[in-house]
Amino acid sequence: MTNPKKLTIALAGNANVGKSVIFNHLTGLHQHIGNWPGKTVERAEGTLHFKGYEIDVIDLPGIYSLSTFSMEELISREYIVSEKPDLVVNVVDASLLERCLFFTVQLMELETPMIVALNQVDIASRKGIKIDHEKLSEMLGVPVVPTVATKGKGIYELLEAAVSAIEDGKAKPHEIRYGKEVEEKIESLSKMISGVGFRYPARWTAIKLLEGDRDVEADVLRLAPEVVSRARELAQEIERLHGHSCFTVMASERYNIASCIAREVQVVTPSAKLAIEDRLHNLTTHKVLGYVVMLGVMTSLFYAVFVFGDYTSTLLSYLLQSLEPAFEAVLGHGELKEIIFGGVFESIFAGIAIALPYLVPFYFMLYALEDSGYLSRVAFLMDSAMHKIGLHGKAFIPMILSYGCNVPACLACRIMETERERILATFVVTLIPCAARSVIILGLVGRFIGVEVALAIYALDLVVVLLLGRIAFKVMPGEPTGLIMEMHEYRMPHIKTVASQTWFRVTEYAKMALPLIVFSGLLIKSIEVLGLLRAISSAMSPVTTAWLGLPPEAGISLVFGVLRKELALVMLASLLGTSNFGSVLTPLQMIVFTIVMLFYVPCVATIAALVKELGWKKAALITVFEVIFAVLLGGAVLRALSFLGLR
Amino acid sequence: MDAELPLTSLREGESGVVTSIKPRGRGRYGGVGLGLQRRLLDMGLTPGTKVVVVKSSPFGGPLEVQVRGSRLAIGRGVAERIYVKVER
Repeated sequence: MTNPKKLTIALAGNANVGKSVIFNHLTGLHQHIGNWPGKTVERAEGTLHFKGYEIDVIDLPGIYSLSTFSMEELISREYIVSEKPDLVVNVVDASLLERCLFFTVQLMELETPMIVALNQVDIASRKGIKIDHEKLSEMLGVPVVPTVATKGKGIYELLEAAVSAIEDGKAKPHEIRYGKEVEEKIESLSKMISGVGFRYPARWTAIKLLEGDRDVEADVLRLAPEVVSRARELAQEIERLHGHSCFTVMASERYNIASCIAREVQVVTPSAKLAIEDRLHNLTTHKVLGYVVMLGVMTSLFYAVFVFGDYTSTLLSYLLQSLEPAFEAVLGHGELKEIIFGGVFESIFAGIAIALPYLVPFYFMLYALEDSGYLSRVAFLMDSAMHKIGLHGKAFIPMILSYGCNVPACLACRIMETERERILATFVVTLIPCAARSVIILGLVGRFIGVEVALAIYALDLVVVLLLGRIAFKVMPGEPTGLIMEMHEYRMPHIKTVASQTWFRVTEYAKMALPLIVFSGLLIKSIEVLGLLRAISSAMSPVTTAWLGLPPEAGISLVFGVLRKELALVMLASLLGTSNFGSVLTPLQMIVFTIVMLFYVPCVATIAALVKELGWKKAALITVFEVIFAVLLGGAVLRALSFLGLR
Repeated sequence: MDAELPLTSLREGESGVVTSIKPRGRGRYGGVGLGLQRRLLDMGLTPGTKVVVVKSSPFGGPLEVQVRGSRLAIGRGVAERIYVKVER
């Protein structure tokens, strides 16, 4: 340690064990969420002060293993080995002890100083599980602190135990020993490895080599190729002996160890059951009623968001209008005022007044649903439908988000396990009408032609999503992955954790989208003030007028829609000189305009999100494809409908 | 009865003991790569483990299974590759 007053603690454990609740208790609002360098995996970090120490807390991603199946696992393992935190706090779900100990055993193998937070002991005892935490501590060789994170119980004790474990060096876990045949091979390998001087613990490296871990193999191959070939021989021996692949044997043995420990320390009363939770689970995954409930939940979610959003949005808009005279007093009525007020401030306000009132409640409710366990049931219900477009049930969650705003939906596609699925999901998500596009569908087509036509456009969108999704799924190389997901017990969402997740998500959105919104507003205003609109519209006319049959003004608002879709209608009104679109546009023109608006790239903020998640090349590919597709589809719809006699 | 069957052939409420996970299937609902095989092991589906099929959704939907005290959703394509010895 360079500075004795500074400590680093990492939280590690399975998903849904209450890790983030503990993290929130420890760090409060002194946290920031970013990404691991160069990765799209979230990194949550926070600080706290305790007994004269400044403690840095890192919340590692929720994982089930320390292999290299996913980026999250690789990052966690690299972090523990390379950054060497002073202590790892392994959060364990007391009601799922055996499964959680499987991960604990792997942490112990990494030989990192650690303690265990035995969380959710309340749920465990309701399930009839009693755990002797002192005995568990004795068996693992590290302190074990029982906690009920959602009620704040045991958090202080956990922190105390963490600090004293670091001070006294009490956090050295016991060595985990495998069955005789495997153990012999681990030992002979680790003897070879300890001579090489490798950055990972020798025994752990031996285990990983036997498991055929590609990452470790590649590392060792550079230093000592003979170790790798020896490991492969030994692995084959094990395979011959047991009739299973070596990593299956190792995982089985590890689970045996975990289940031995679990059996030693826990007493289970089998009669106890979580009656209400079970009934709720059965209802929400029922093959008929489950969908009814889902429809109800989603409808009320959107209804609540739109009612709340509409109200606050109107309120904020009034506030903006009341500020205008003040600007006129300072800047006069000239072009300067137009650019500064109309360009910059109106943009900031539009960003705040349009996005935030909808985004905040949307995120809040969605996180509450996720924390309660409901979203995993929705993923379960939607799995079969999502397979039609080569995705599995989990992809439905970003799709719901997408109806609110495409930007957070793109970011949410991180929950997909493989790169291929991430790309597919992100692509599909950008085709879904966000709130801003819903404003156009409802405000133009819905209002001036009829609600049934607006609904038809939503239906068309779903058809396109299915078709394009299916084509993308067929075109993209690689095999589809199936669903493997835990459905944890229903529980009351922890409001503080949900609120802080909402807060960080909204700030992430603001950081990304607001600068772009302001820049776009400024650009549009400047072009307007400089009188360049006509020139642009005539340059665009081959596409907008000739192919799509729109008035030139509509073309302009199409072009700038990429910058600000929510303002496209307002802009169209000011360009046409009226907001009574029925008098200047034919129904056919409205439909074509809306369809093009709907499908070509969502907006600059979404493009930025695409770049962030998928990189430049794929973002550009999706963008260009969607523009061409939208224009082609718009022209085709125009011709088809006018052939049918619509004007 | 101790025939080896894919998990998908179990009815709701039936249970079995995992015998093996066969990788690289290309079923209608997506197969199991090496990575997913490891993932299943990590979730506790090691050979010899008891699995209870709680729910089996219609129309190619996923299965809900009980493994080592936890509740897992497993896509049909994945479940087709998990072989069990049926306990009846």
